[in-house]
Amino acid sequence: MTEPAMELTDVKKTIGRKEVIKGLSFTIDKGEVFGFIGPNGAGKTTTIRMMVGLMNISEGDIRILGNSVKTDFKDAVREVGAIVENPEMYPFMSGWQNLLHYARMIPGVTKERVHEVVQLVGLEKPIKEKVKKYSLGMRQRLGIAQALLHKPSVLIFDEPTNGLDPAGIREIRQYIRSIATEENVAVIISSHLLLEIEQMCDRIGLIKNGELVAVQEVGDALTNQENVMQVQMEVSPLENAQAVLQSNHNIEAEVGDNKLMIRTERNNIPTIIQTLVQHDVLVYQVEITKTTLEDKFFDLIGENTIG
Amino acid sequence: MANFFQLVKNEQYKIYVRKSTWAMYIIASLIIIGMALMFSFSDITNEQYQNDEWKQTLQDENAEMTAEMENEEVFEGAYTSNIERNNYYLENDIQPASYDAWQLVMDNEFTLSLVSLFTIIVAAGIVANEFRWGTIKLLLIRPISRLKILLSKYVSVLLFALFTLLYVLAFSWIVGALLFGVNPIDSHIVISTMGNLEYVSVMDKIIEGYGFQLVTLLMMATLAFAISTIFRQSSLAIGVSIFLMFAGNGIIAFLSKYSWSKYILFANTDLQQYGNGTPLVENMTLGFSITVLAVYYVIFLLLSWSFFSKRDVAGQ
Repeated sequence: MTEPAMELTDVKKTIGRKEVIKGLSFTIDKGEVFGFIGPNGAGKTTTIRMMVGLMNISEGDIRILGNSVKTDFKDAVREVGAIVENPEMYPFMSGWQNLLHYARMIPGVTKERVHEVVQLVGLEKPIKEKVKKYSLGMRQRLGIAQALLHKPSVLIFDEPTNGLDPAGIREIRQYIRSIATEENVAVIISSHLLLEIEQMCDRIGLIKNGELVAVQEVGDALTNQENVMQVQMEVSPLENAQAVLQSNHNIEAEVGDNKLMIRTERNNIPTIIQTLVQHDVLVYQVEITKTTLEDKFFDLIGENTIG
Repeated sequence: MANFFQLVKNEQYKIYVRKSTWAMYIIASLIIIGMALMFSFSDITNEQYQNDEWKQTLQDENAEMTAEMENEEVFEGAYTSNIERNNYYLENDIQPASYDAWQLVMDNEFTLSLVSLFTIIVAAGIVANEFRWGTIKLLLIRPISRLKILLSKYVSVLLFALFTLLYVLAFSWIVGALLFGVNPIDSHIVISTMGNLEYVSVMDKIIEGYGFQLVTLLMMATLAFAISTIFRQSSLAIGVSIFLMFAGNGIIAFLSKYSWSKYILFANTDLQQYGNGTPLVENMTLGFSITVLAVYYVIFLLLSWSFFSKRDVAGQ
């Protein structure tokens, strides 16, 4: 059994008299991308700040590769690269100078390594320019470069695609996935965007009011045969199809936007299509529109709070 | 240790890469050049005495000044001190030394207040700015204890003060050397202290003048550093420190009737009060002042450290 990359045991945080984090316990394995999702004010950032030692842990402990952040801060945090909230850098220094600045703080980070990460995040061109001239996307890349300098075992990114254009988001997403699998690094991502988390993560932890309400495997949700999901079908004629589904499968189908909406389990979908075809219904398109994951989160948090 | 050196290097880099730091050095340079030019157009240069007839010149000057004082009422007593000084030269058979680089350095003693001012500004910003920029987060998630980071910042403030002091001294000397030339390092001049004329070494005066002010510089910079770490606000730290630096003596004069006023920091920062004249508050001794200063110094540093190492770094 391998040691987890990060382990939280009953972590609590009290600010004043208010308990902000009410006992979080979970582990993150090497090579895993863990998504941390929840509405604003749920405690995502507080938890991340405790992971990297910016905030004291009131009760419980966080261990990184077995080293406690509380009692063994240096050894624990040596294995962590992070962006906490916005990737803030010294605006009056160039990107290169900023990276050198952080490289000097950790023994063993060579100039060659700095070059390497600059290439990795694709900032070769503007690296000698002052950071105040950078776009948000460039700052985000510089932030990621800074986190990778010392080849950490755990990467923590707060809202990593914030401010990136769609191409940038795609690139970062692929990059995060590849670094997790190739370098066996545990990646923790916090976000308020469910879709983003779903596309990037292996596992999702939902936090609400300082409590972990659910932990869900992402792969599960999409491929699990027993999960009920919402399916949208473009069929013709609509009334026929509706009646066929009602009589043969006992499914209540709704008609909307010239399409048929049903809720069913994944493993039912092939038989439903067969039935429709046998009853001379033309099937143009079948699409899963909502997974249970989404339903679950909306149920738990309320639709308005996820952006 | 190598690690600590790297941290100090980072901090020095962040101080000197900024344009505001360059502005400080330019301002100091302009003031020094201005002072030197002003002196070069005055009669302070003593050029008229640099020949074999210097005794005659002094006597002529005295006669001229005495006559002027007798004839014109407005000048009554105006030149008494000049005449006394001239007589001192004559009586002791000392040829007045020409003005030079060393004397300009001595006369530019006030530039140390400028160095103090700049050091306070740097000290006030060195921690608070990291919070303002948000970079404190990336600084504290390194495998380095917070004590070490804070210490590297404090050492950097002291280094900045040292470098700036050396720059001001060197620049004064160079400007002086270009405009007035350089006398031997052991040259003496006649100055009046507390109404008495004395023949003193210029070098002694430089060391004394700058040395005593360094105490104020160190204490005010440390105070600014402490305020900056505790409140995370550079403007507050600059305001309080500069106000106290200039108003400190006034406050003491106002409170000196109370016996506890001798425990106030500013009653003790001016150690020159024991060299010449009377202490600001009665019954104070040099040893007492040094003890009080040391206690304040340790308190400032302990407060900075406890606030910096314990507190949560929360969002803005």
